[in-house]
Amino acid sequence: MVIADFEAGIGTITRLGEQKLDLVLVVVEPTPKSIEVGSRAAGLASEKSLGRVIVVANRIRSEDDLAMIRSALPGHEVVAIPDDRAIVEADRLGVSPLDLPDRGPAVRALVELAESLPVGVAHQM
Amino acid sequence: MRVAFVGKGGSGKSAIAGTFARALARRGEPVLTIDSDPMPGLAFSLGLEVVEDAVLDDAVVERQEGEEGPRFRLRPGLTVAEAIEQYAAVGPDGVRFLQFGKLRGHVASLFRSQLAFREITHGLPPNGRWNVVGDLPGGTRQPFAGWGDYAHTFIIVVEPSAKSLLAARRLAKLASGDRGPKVVGVANKVSDAGDTDLVRERSGLEVIASIPWDEALAEAERNAKAPIDYAPESPAVRAVELLVARLIEEG
Amino acid sequence: MKLAVVGKGGSGKTTTAAVIARTLARRGMSVVALDCDTNPNLGISLGVGDEETERLIAMRQALDEGQEEHTPTWDQLVDRFGSDAPDGVRLAVVTRIENPEPG
Repeated sequence: MVIADFEAGIGTITRLGEQKLDLVLVVVEPTPKSIEVGSRAAGLASEKSLGRVIVVANRIRSEDDLAMIRSALPGHEVVAIPDDRAIVEADRLGVSPLDLPDRGPAVRALVELAESLPVGVAHQM
Repeated sequence: MRVAFVGKGGSGKSAIAGTFARALARRGEPVLTIDSDPMPGLAFSLGLEVVEDAVLDDAVVERQEGEEGPRFRLRPGLTVAEAIEQYAAVGPDGVRFLQFGKLRGHVASLFRSQLAFREITHGLPPNGRWNVVGDLPGGTRQPFAGWGDYAHTFIIVVEPSAKSLLAARRLAKLASGDRGPKVVGVANKVSDAGDTDLVRERSGLEVIASIPWDEALAEAERNAKAPIDYAPESPAVRAVELLVARLIEEG
Repeated sequence: MKLAVVGKGGSGKTTTAAVIARTLARRGMSVVALDCDTNPNLGISLGVGDEETERLIAMRQALDEGQEEHTPTWDQLVDRFGSDAPDGVRLAVVTRIENPEPG
């Protein structure tokens, strides 16, 4: 299977034609700028029927943060990833958050999301 | 002065650029801000509501059959100064704001306004009255392939993180071929002196300012407010004001 | 299976892509991770380190600048110009192919 970290913004999605993807993860943090890009991306993905869309609400500190994102992107599945210093630490050190001794809640939430995705072990590539 | 802020997404470049522009304007300088980042940022940090793109399409005309010269140019009779008057939004402290189209999913509609934008930025008289503060996408060759032609100095905004440093090294290398603009760094979200040293060492840049990690800036961001309005006394805003003062002094 | 991760720069897109990639690989899938960002740094989030990530980017740039004889095929891109990341994830930087310059 292929997982693509697209160009920041909506550039790549804009240029995609009739490609079908299985899943589009739209990562949004609770700031107006991030929400603006995320909602356009989710909108385009839906418009072009690119595939299932899941909104990953990142750096969530409160119910308000989550509500801000949900209301800006109505009608989409939303998964919340809590704000977590461990990610900042990993970035600072230049290591994967998965490789820190203590993973932290954000990594755990992302792992949970990955484990919930409908993929079969037998389904290679 | 003519500066362009560059950096990886999330580094805080728009917040710094916007605060810098406002601080400069408060010193009585005429400031034109230029936003060529397809993602939103500078308008909020300047204190402008989201600006629907001024209709730049009609600022350019296409070359007629048989005419010589570039395919697109500014409408005859429209000077750069007039274009700024007509198309730039006016923000707090009199800052002028010019942006080219934010991507809305329809690439074709961008084309003419992009061209108008370039005609205007390329046409700015070298010793004209406007100080220019730009916000450039943190991506590839763009800053150094024409989008940042107006800049005498590129300021790379760098956080003390591996990713940000990686981007900074790339950007510094891209700039090193040019004889023209000066390229310097600003360390952002700094916790201590060690962070500034890290940025200096791992980016190879001359670091002209250190902006401290500042919760107030993060809050301003969440509320879509300009840092200089939301938290005028905050350490980060102060640090940017000091930078402006120093650059003016150094002249 | 094809999965794309999108979002504003700095929102956590790359971290998300990396953790998902490695977790799926740990579930037994054969995973190829593509860095299509204009500021490529997926390698860092995957855990290959910044030196290796920079090497991959430089290789990609060399390709773009025509220092390689042929435009690589998809398989070549991943096999020859990719790198092994933890958990058996295969990483390739594809910036150029996916992102022509604006204008």
